[in-house]
Amino acid sequence: MAAVGDLQEWQRESGAADAPAEPKDYRAWQTESRGDNPFARITDTVIRIVETPKPPRAWYIALTISLCWVACFLVAVSHLVWNGIGIWGNNNPVGWAWDIVNFVFWVGIGHAGTLISAILFLLRQQWRTVINRAAEAMTIFAVICALMFPALHIGRPWLPYWMLPIPNQMDMWPQFRSPLDWDVFAVSTYFTVSLVFWFMGLVPDLASIRDRADTTGRRLIYGILALGWRGSARQWHRYERAYLILAALSTPLVLSVHSVVSFDFATAQLPGWHTTIFPPYFVAGAIFSGFAMVNTLLIPARQFFGLKGLIEMRHLEQMNKIILATGTMVGYSYAMEFFIAWYGASPYEQFTFINRAFGPYAWAYWTMVSCNVIFPQLFWFRKVRTNIAAMMVLCVLVNVGMWFERFVIIATSISRDFLPSAWGYYVPTKWDFITFLGTFGIFFTLFLLFCRFLPMIATAEVKAIHPAAHGH
Amino acid sequence: MPSMNEEKRYWRSLAEHATSPQQDEARPEFEAPLAPPTQQERRHFLKLSAASVALAGAAGCRWQEDHLLPHTQQPEGVVPGIPRYFMTAMELGGAGVGLKVKSYDGRPIKIDGNPAHPDSLGGSDARHQAAVLGLYDPDRSRGFSTLAEGGRKPASENEFRGFAREHFSALQAQKGRGLAVLAGESSSPSLADMKARWQARFPEARWFEYEPVSSPNERLGSRLAFGKVVRTRLILEKAKVIVSLDADILGSRPDSLALARAWSKGRQPEAGKMSRSYVFESSLSETGAVADHRFSLRAEHIKPLAAYLDAELSRRLAAPAALGAAQSAPSAKFLEDPELRKLLTAMIADLAIQPGASVVVVGATQPPEVHALVHRINAVLRNVGTTVQYLEGLDSSEPSAPEALRTLNEEIASGRVQTLLVLDSNPVYTAPGDIDFSAALAKVPRTICASLYVDETASLCSWHVPLAHFLEAWGDVRASDGTISIQQPLIAPLYGGKSAIEILAMLSGDELPWGLQIVQRALAPVVGNAAADPRLWRKSLHDGIVPGTAAAPDHPVLRPIASFEYAGGALSGLEAEPGQLELVLAPDPKIYDGRFANNGWLMELPDWATKLTWDNALLVSPKTAQVLGVTDSTLVTLSMETESVSVPVLVAPGQATGSVKLYLGYGRTAGGSVAGRALAGGSVHGEWDDQASVGVNAYRLRSKRLWDFARGANVKPTTEKYRMATTQDKHTIDRIGKFGTDDRLPMLVREASLTEYEEHPDFVKHAVHHPPLLSLWKDPVKYEGHRWGMSIDLNKCTGCSNCVVACQAENNVPTVGKDRVYMGREMHWLRIDRYFKGDPEQPEVVNQPIPCQQCEHAPCEQVCPVGATSHSHEGLNDMTYNRCIGTRYCSNNCPYKVRKFNFFNFHEDLKEEKNKVQQMVYNPEVTVRFRGVMEKCTYCVQRIQEGKFRASRENRPLRDGEVTTACQDSCPTQAIVFGDLNDPNSQVSQRKANQRDYSLLEELNVRPRTTYLALVRNPNPELG
Repeated sequence: MAAVGDLQEWQRESGAADAPAEPKDYRAWQTESRGDNPFARITDTVIRIVETPKPPRAWYIALTISLCWVACFLVAVSHLVWNGIGIWGNNNPVGWAWDIVNFVFWVGIGHAGTLISAILFLLRQQWRTVINRAAEAMTIFAVICALMFPALHIGRPWLPYWMLPIPNQMDMWPQFRSPLDWDVFAVSTYFTVSLVFWFMGLVPDLASIRDRADTTGRRLIYGILALGWRGSARQWHRYERAYLILAALSTPLVLSVHSVVSFDFATAQLPGWHTTIFPPYFVAGAIFSGFAMVNTLLIPARQFFGLKGLIEMRHLEQMNKIILATGTMVGYSYAMEFFIAWYGASPYEQFTFINRAFGPYAWAYWTMVSCNVIFPQLFWFRKVRTNIAAMMVLCVLVNVGMWFERFVIIATSISRDFLPSAWGYYVPTKWDFITFLGTFGIFFTLFLLFCRFLPMIATAEVKAIHPAAHGH
Repeated sequence: MPSMNEEKRYWRSLAEHATSPQQDEARPEFEAPLAPPTQQERRHFLKLSAASVALAGAAGCRWQEDHLLPHTQQPEGVVPGIPRYFMTAMELGGAGVGLKVKSYDGRPIKIDGNPAHPDSLGGSDARHQAAVLGLYDPDRSRGFSTLAEGGRKPASENEFRGFAREHFSALQAQKGRGLAVLAGESSSPSLADMKARWQARFPEARWFEYEPVSSPNERLGSRLAFGKVVRTRLILEKAKVIVSLDADILGSRPDSLALARAWSKGRQPEAGKMSRSYVFESSLSETGAVADHRFSLRAEHIKPLAAYLDAELSRRLAAPAALGAAQSAPSAKFLEDPELRKLLTAMIADLAIQPGASVVVVGATQPPEVHALVHRINAVLRNVGTTVQYLEGLDSSEPSAPEALRTLNEEIASGRVQTLLVLDSNPVYTAPGDIDFSAALAKVPRTICASLYVDETASLCSWHVPLAHFLEAWGDVRASDGTISIQQPLIAPLYGGKSAIEILAMLSGDELPWGLQIVQRALAPVVGNAAADPRLWRKSLHDGIVPGTAAAPDHPVLRPIASFEYAGGALSGLEAEPGQLELVLAPDPKIYDGRFANNGWLMELPDWATKLTWDNALLVSPKTAQVLGVTDSTLVTLSMETESVSVPVLVAPGQATGSVKLYLGYGRTAGGSVAGRALAGGSVHGEWDDQASVGVNAYRLRSKRLWDFARGANVKPTTEKYRMATTQDKHTIDRIGKFGTDDRLPMLVREASLTEYEEHPDFVKHAVHHPPLLSLWKDPVKYEGHRWGMSIDLNKCTGCSNCVVACQAENNVPTVGKDRVYMGREMHWLRIDRYFKGDPEQPEVVNQPIPCQQCEHAPCEQVCPVGATSHSHEGLNDMTYNRCIGTRYCSNNCPYKVRKFNFFNFHEDLKEEKNKVQQMVYNPEVTVRFRGVMEKCTYCVQRIQEGKFRASRENRPLRDGEVTTACQDSCPTQAIVFGDLNDPNSQVSQRKANQRDYSLLEELNVRPRTTYLALVRNPNPELG
């Protein structure tokens, strides 16, 4: 078939369900796309979001709300640094509570992007191309949120650099037996590699923006960011090679970072933490929550920015399948923890799990089980998998459930450990809430800025799998 | 410039705006502070230190005040930075305990018992330990003051002297008519001497002794039994059977420290010495906690119980006729309880077969006739002369019956008192509910109150004289056996306070105005003329006791005891009768009658039994709570006759069914910034902020009928809840939690009966089964020098919690306040875990002190990312505070949860000018920790270092027992032993070789250095 017509046709061919009619408000904002070349249309669909003078009103509303939360976060952090972490609800048995729960939660969220970019790339999963850019961006932002907690949760938050191996006059050096130090390296390496990977992928698209720019400012800024990309065959060749190498480098990191985070708990001897199943269990959970978060972000984004033509229902459905798979793995882990507690015959371990399910924090445990294991089972039904509202609700629930998973692991285990005399109960303060919601403010602010100022979809990659590219 | 202000004046509040300028002129622009501002700065500090050094050097005389200058020449033997120790004594409720005080560059910073003192033997209680904090309390009165309109007005000492000279010489002219003195009970010979002089000078003056917590019944009982007052001395070491009838012999008597030591000597199963104790009590006491058999019984039931014992024992042992007729066995309903009957039968048999080797003790609050009867029971058991000795009664004065205050009140009401001197007493607060003493005070034209604080009474008196703290003044006290100790000042009065004897001397125009002279004069009969020949005086000062002053043994003849009559519910059954509950009012184990209420260390010390801090609560047994329909923290209205208070309930296992208990000493309205002071309206405290009262004032429930306990209380639940801060079982334990606790308790606190122990001396080895404990790595440290370790004998621990305060004092451990204790942020480095077992109504209790276990394979060390906690070459698990960044990972990984985190800067309040004086309490050898760092027990590493340096200077090895930890020092029963494990002969090595030795959570393979000796109880085999 010769160069096939327009995007609509391609959509039909690829079997995607017809996208529902777009709301009128946004149609006006979407300019008429230029040219009839399908490749040009793809570029245009993605890049005009950056070029348009006014984003949709929803974007402004969302950004305002997010910035309010950022302001709250700054207030909470100032209060924290000035007065001490006593403003949170942490206490003497429960040394780690929402601070580390949030850290693990955000690190977990930050798993999807690189997994989609690297592992699915190596596995030649072509459907990934429409979501990988946004997913990677989300990864970076989630890891930024996560990285704040190790720095802020310490008693003297002006000294987190003592955990880094920086030669100094004080003759101090990190204590490398501590899993916290492993964390520092695992998460920072992951962050660096993810950032490089993401930025490299952006370069051809940044060059497109530069080339299409009609203002000097845009030309200048995107010109600098595009690193002199000309789109020559040689550059493409080098680019592909580098992309492959980075994908290969990132792949083990996806698996290692949450394994290392899980070591914080697995190597401790606290019943409920001291479990060898943690590394795979944490990685599965991280992918689970990461994919749920990608869906949570992409569903509104494709709606508002007119990307339904690119991010199709089949892509979302694929995501939901992975959520179902990883959710089931997580459920298996929950069951296995109980089995091992019984089989291991340690009375402390047994008590921890009985206490988890029926003790004072049982409500948190059952919230976790419902959100992570029971509700995702609905994804066995295709109707649910392909229903926007249903998947949105389920993905939010998965995120809630995964936050509770970390809370259950961290707080319930530690609130009742070996000596009953030392048992306690953790109750968050308002500052715990503000700090946590504040990180959402940061996350959404960054994501909204990304949606507005950077290409949300990797156009070159989408073009590579477009039927037009294989039509000859 | 009043003229300029006539039209427009600046005003500070609407209230002031409303007042007329004329009124305003009379007032200073700024409220004058109650006292001159504190200047605890360098110069003043040096003055103070110089003063104390001056008095320290030569049993010194602090009254040579011309010496109050910094040293220009170093006095011989005084090295800055090297602490010195002095003996002194502290009196409480008429009995003194000898103390050894550590003074650091002139500042007393740590108190321990005087090993030579018969009532201490080296042990000390929480109040002794906390006395240094009381000394440096910034809320203490800072000078003389008078009552003026709208508040108190500071006055100078000279103004007061001027008033006193004029007024008291006029009084002397009228032989003291219209003059009355209200003083606390005291054993002090000097005070007695001054009292005699006072009465000689003012023959018509009245002298009242009122002590809110007093034990006149003991003395009255002695009179009933013997016709005279004798002191009873218990020789617990010799007792094989101990029967306590509502008597907390190990915790609440003036000689409890010594008794606890004696008791502990009879609890050594390996030495074949195991006494057996039976305790019948209305509320869980330390004695009950360590008892072999304990029965919760209402206080009103003790009298018929004693009669029953007398009847049965007299019959079984054929009491000699000379002792008079025995009581007839009462037909009380509670005695029909099968459990109690079984216990009593076995106990009587146990007592009967061991004549002369048992001791029966009755609680101070029981009526006099029960005391008399117990003298008889001991005689029937032939204990007199062996385990029970009588000493000549030293107290010739009338007992300070609660009537003293009542009489004074009547005297005042009838207008016979024109001048009232209140000496170290706070009757406005401690008066029973049916005496309105503040109204009485208003009727007296001249009232003078000498007190440590401008308290409830002082704030209403026309003159207030600051009282010197016992660490600031000369004095003397008598121990329970009559031994005299000299109370030696450690520091010049911080706020110009005067001691009681000095005030009496000043007011009566005595020729000797200074405390030292007064004491030397009063003690001349026993120490000779100290001025002419100071040798005995100096020896007494040095040793802390005046030799040969103990009372002589007495052999009083027992008179027949009248047959008992029973009133009220004495013969009732065991079950609770709502509306007719027995209410017990007792002094608080921490803050006593309320005088220590402003002491943060004591307020935050968890009550040893309930673990409650910062409050008093109505203690109710689980069954009674069910009957009343109340649970933990329900706010109830507790009423007794016409008075009622609103108080939260604390369900306390071990409380007798139908008996409820409330501690006295709380609910202060002018106690200070810790205890609470009057809220809006009571603006007697100028510069201070108002502060809600801590707890509930139980004195209001007291009346003629109810002093210590009485029946007839009513508890009415409300729907409100009250938040109480406990340090254990923070939230009501759910079923899962209880199951988990019960499941693991036998592994944590290992316990056996004596028979089981004799059959299986290695029973502790079989409590937990675990695979062989191998190590992943070789020990990196060889421990060639010392290898420190600790052993805690659970058989000796009574749970008294003195060690907790001792640790706090030694290691600058901050207090955090009620809200933070509620959140679980208390900072105590050492805690006492308390567990109950069995029937909640009749529980068994175990106590387990938990300091840092100083693990060999310390889990905390592995996980610190910055290496702030590390292993020392002597096996200590050290904390480097400077390095700590506060990740709290170490605490999470600590299986014992002994690490405490500074969630805030808990020393923030010291920045305030008025609180600066409190910095003086800090031990300079120990870092004061900043916020955000983790801290924990160090085995008192500063003491280890000090001992090592001393040994090295003297070129000798460190001796065993030379280095002791603070908790060890304070322990009255010597349950805690610390030392070098490399020395096979050290006490701690020997303890660890004991078969009862076990490690807590040994299966975790963390290899703790603090180990425990398992608990062995000695139940009566017949009760199987």
